[in-house]
Amino acid sequence: MSADTEVQQAAGNRPVYAGGRSFFLRYLGRELGRRARQAIVIALGLALGIGLVITVSAAADGVKNAQASVLHSLYGVGTDITVTESPSAGSGAKGHHTSISIQGGPGSKPTVCINGKCSTGAQNIANLVSANKGTLSYSDIAKIEKLAHVSAAAGGLALSDTDISISSNSAGPPTQFTVQGVDLSHADLGPLSSATLSSGHTFTTSDANSDVAIIDSSYATANKLKVGSYVTVAKTKFKVIGVVTQSAASDPPDVFIPLARAQALGSANLGGGSLKGYVNTIYVTTASSADISAVSKEIKALLPSATVTTPSSLASEINGSLGSAAKLAGDLGTWLSILVLVAAFAVAGLLTMSAVSRRAREFGTLKAIGWRSRRIIGQVMGESVTTGLIGGAIGIGLGFLGAFIIDKIAPSLTATITNDSGLKFAQSTSGGPGPVAVGGSPLGGTTQNIPVHWSASVTLAVIGLAVLLAIVGGLLSGALGSWRITQLRPADALARVD
Amino acid sequence: MYTMTNVTRLYQKGRHTVPAVRDVNLDIPDGDWLAVQGRTGHGKTTLLQLLGGLDHATSGSITLDGQDLTRMREAQVTRLRATSIGFVFQTFNLVQTLTAADNVEAALIPLGMGWAERRRRTAEALDSVGLSDRARHLPSELSGGQQQRVAIARALVKEPKVLLADEPTGNLDEDTREDIMALLEKLWREHGLTMVLVTHETVIARRALRIAVMSKGRLAIRSSPGEATNNLVGEIGEPLS
Repeated sequence: MSADTEVQQAAGNRPVYAGGRSFFLRYLGRELGRRARQAIVIALGLALGIGLVITVSAAADGVKNAQASVLHSLYGVGTDITVTESPSAGSGAKGHHTSISIQGGPGSKPTVCINGKCSTGAQNIANLVSANKGTLSYSDIAKIEKLAHVSAAAGGLALSDTDISISSNSAGPPTQFTVQGVDLSHADLGPLSSATLSSGHTFTTSDANSDVAIIDSSYATANKLKVGSYVTVAKTKFKVIGVVTQSAASDPPDVFIPLARAQALGSANLGGGSLKGYVNTIYVTTASSADISAVSKEIKALLPSATVTTPSSLASEINGSLGSAAKLAGDLGTWLSILVLVAAFAVAGLLTMSAVSRRAREFGTLKAIGWRSRRIIGQVMGESVTTGLIGGAIGIGLGFLGAFIIDKIAPSLTATITNDSGLKFAQSTSGGPGPVAVGGSPLGGTTQNIPVHWSASVTLAVIGLAVLLAIVGGLLSGALGSWRITQLRPADALARVD
Repeated sequence: MYTMTNVTRLYQKGRHTVPAVRDVNLDIPDGDWLAVQGRTGHGKTTLLQLLGGLDHATSGSITLDGQDLTRMREAQVTRLRATSIGFVFQTFNLVQTLTAADNVEAALIPLGMGWAERRRRTAEALDSVGLSDRARHLPSELSGGQQQRVAIARALVKEPKVLLADEPTGNLDEDTREDIMALLEKLWREHGLTMVLVTHETVIARRALRIAVMSKGRLAIRSSPGEATNNLVGEIGEPLS
C-alpha cells in the first residue's frame, strides 16, 4: 500500500465530526490526544495527590471507627453521654484504704477483720462491690430524662464480684469477675446493647427481680458454662438464660444481671453500704449529636459533683497504638496529603502554562480569525478540567488500592485505657500466716490494653471530595494557563516561532 | 473601505524606539486589490496587522467602513475580524490537531451558527478551493499548497469584506505559488473582495490592481503595476530588488 493510500485510508477512517456537533469537544479531544504524554503526567500528578488524600481519609475514618467501636463497647451503642460519680472518702476505693486483716496460726481458727468488723473461723469472703465508682441516686435518671434534647436515660451498676476462701492454714487466691446490673426498662442503653446474642434469649421486663443472668461467651467458655447453667454472684445462684458475644475492643462485663438484683446484692464498698436505690453509671442518649455539648452542660448543672463524659472527651483518653495511629493519620497524614496536592497542582499549573506558551501562535491565529479571549480560555479550561477529572478517576482507584493495602497489612492496634480498679491483693511474705492486707492501693490503677482491628474504608463523601479536588486542580491549572492567554497580543503571538 | 490617516506604529526595543510604520496615509476603496511590496523588516506585515486590528497604532486613525479601529475596544475589533476580515498567513497557521474541515469551521464558531449551517458552509468553502476530498486530513497530511488552500477556505468561509494576505506564497514552490495566486485572483473576483496582499516578490505584486511600496516604514502608492519597480528609486531612496 502506498504512503498516499495509507494517509487517505487513515483520513477516511477519521470521522469528520468525531465529538459530534460540538466543536469544543472535538478540539478538546484532539488537543489532549496530541499532548497525551503531558496530559498523562499532569493527570498522574493529580492522581497521586488525590489518591493520597483518599487513602489518608480512609485510614483516618478507620481509626475513628476503631475508636468508636472502643467507645461503643465501653458504653454501648446509642449512648452519647455517661454520668458517673467519684467514690466518696472512706469508700475503700481509688486511694481510700479498706483494710482487711487475718490473724491466726496453723491449726487455729482464723479471725478476719474488714474495716474493724471481725469474725472468727474458716470462712469465705464474697463481695459484690461497686467497681471504683461513686453512687448516683436512681431518681437522678428521671431528672436527666426531663432535660431538653434528652431522648432517653438509663442507669447501670458496674460491680466486681470477689471471692476469697480462708481456712486455718491459708487464704486461697481470690477469684474475680465483673458484673453489670442492667436497667431492664431501657435495655437498649448500656454495655449490653452492643453485645450480640449467640444463644438463649435476652432479658424481659418480667425478669426485673429474677435471679437470671446473661454471660459473656469468653467467660462461658473459660468456666464451662452454657444456657441453663448456674453462675454464683454474691453467693446467689443465677440461672444463665443467654450467652452474648461482645467486642474484643473493650473489657466487657462477664455477667449481666437485672439492676434490681444487683442493687440488692451489691454494696457500695468492701465495708458495706447498700446499693438499693442507687446506680453508679447513667447512660444518656441525646436527640442529636449536635445536642451533646448542651446536654452535658445541663447535666453538670443538675449534678455538680458528677463526672459527665462524652465520646469526644473519652476519645482523647484512648492511648496506645490506636492513639498513635490517630495522630499519624490525623496530623502527619493530613499534612503530607496537603503538601502532595499543592505540589501536584503546582506542576499541573506550570505544565499548562508551558503548553499555552507553546501554542501562542495557534491562539494568536484563533484571535485573528475572530475568537475572543474568553472562548480560548474556555477551551484551555476544558482541557485542564478534563485532565483533572482523568487524574481524579485514577486517584480514586489509587485511593481504593491504598485502603485495600492498609486493610491487608495494617498492624493490630491497641487502645490503652487507664482503669482505676482500686483493688489489689497481696499475700504476706513473712513466712507464716499473718496479717493479709487486702485493700485499695493509693497508687490506684490498672491499664486495659484493648486489641482493635484497624480497617480503612472509602466513603462516598471521600469520593466526592476527590472529584471536587480533581475539578479544582483542573480549574487552577487552567486558570494559570488562561492568564497567559489574556496577556497575549495577537501580533506578538503570530510572530512566535513554533 | 479603508482609510489610514497619519498612522504610525512605534516599538520599544530596550532603549531604542523603532518606527515600524511612519506617517502612513492610505485609501483602499471597495473591491480594490492592493499589493504591498518591500524588503523584509520594512513594515509590510505591521501595516497588514494594523489593517486587521491585530496591532494598535501608536498614533493616527484607521477606519474600516467608517468605523475607527483605533478607538474600538478589543472585543469590538475581535468581532469585526470575526465577521468582516479574513486572514491568510505565510506559514498557513492551521491548527495542527484539527482536520482541514475543522480548521475551516473554526472561523465560523465566533458567528454563533448552528452545526448544520457550519457544516454546509465548510463543505462549500473546501469545494471552492478544490479540497472537498481532503476534509478529514490533518495539516500534517497535506502539502504546502493544500494547506494554504485550507487557510484560504478558512479566511473566506465567513464571506468577509476584506482579505488580508501576508506573503501567502512565501513558503511555496513556483508552480504551487502560481496555483495559489490564480485561486486568490479567482476568489477575489467571484466574491467581490477587497484584498490587501503583502509580498516581497515583484512578479506576485504585479498581478494586483495597485502596488504600494513600504520602505523603512514609509509607504508610497503606485496606481498601476508597471510603475512599481521603475520609479521608486530616488523617491523613497532605496532601490527594490
